[in-house]
Amino acid sequence: MSAFIRITVNGLPETVPPSATIAGLIDLFREMDRDLIVEHNGRFVFPQNYASTAVAPDDRVEFIHPNFGG
Amino acid sequence: MLTEEEVRRYSRQLALPEIGVEGQLRLAAGRVMVAGLGGLGSIAAYYLAAAGVGFLKIVDCDRVSLENLNRQILHTTADLDRPKSESAAQKLVRLNPNCRIEAVHTAIVDENAEALLSDCTVIVDATDNRAARQVLNRASVHHRVPFVYGGISGWEGMAATFIPGRTACFSCLFPLGKEGYQAEPPPVLGPTAGVIASLQCLETIRLLIGAAPQLAGRLLRFSGLTMEFRTLPIARNSLCPVCGEPQRNASP
Repeated sequence: MSAFIRITVNGLPETVPPSATIAGLIDLFREMDRDLIVEHNGRFVFPQNYASTAVAPDDRVEFIHPNFGG
Repeated sequence: MLTEEEVRRYSRQLALPEIGVEGQLRLAAGRVMVAGLGGLGSIAAYYLAAAGVGFLKIVDCDRVSLENLNRQILHTTADLDRPKSESAAQKLVRLNPNCRIEAVHTAIVDENAEALLSDCTVIVDATDNRAARQVLNRASVHHRVPFVYGGISGWEGMAATFIPGRTACFSCLFPLGKEGYQAEPPPVLGPTAGVIASLQCLETIRLLIGAAPQLAGRLLRFSGLTMEFRTLPIARNSLCPVCGEPQRNASP
């Protein structure tokens, strides 16, 4: 098993540990926004599932920063 | 029945099969709360009044300042220091005297949200912070009034429609924030507000005429840098503190 897998994060190719979770990726990519929302392969991920949602090779993850201005 | 003046004023939209006389009468019977009269609210209130929505409750606690005028196009240089609600009401009545405007100069907080909302059938969220949106969302869920969210930052914006009891609510989508924290106002370009508020108006008009809202259960994201629109389906969160089922909240 390879030490890393290739996924796409916010449109850019990245290598991350195999079976990395969304929670792990948030730490890895230092996403500090407390209002961050996460899209995984076109699906919205609830925060309660961050720790149990693992990524697989070629997955797409988007870290989305909410727009709260008006 | 529409008056002769109304038939002429709305003729270009009366020609739409989705609107017609029946839809126009539904717009005239519409009661919409526009929460915030800044960049989003300027556009939203103006288009809704122009379209013939019969009653607009326009709410803002601020006064017009010079930094507002790159985007808040309902207000003019002559309006500096006037309450935004008063400045906005004057322009909206001039635009369409058929539209009844109730201008309310107040902040929207839990203590007044339900009363403000009690005679409205749609909320257009044109606020500029997360805490006010949470207040509106709680009132939306409790009163079962649809909530049309819009938010902007720089070249980017988002919109979604929350239908109480049917779709995710604002807190399903943005569950993590804590109260009492106000970020610095983000930079904003006027046209970004125009894009997002226009989308909110289209959704509001759809709701009022009885057409299915297209952003119910979906988050739309717009980037003025790439000129792309993307949508993301948003399910209800059973653990949502606002609209989740109580018995499931008890044991996550």
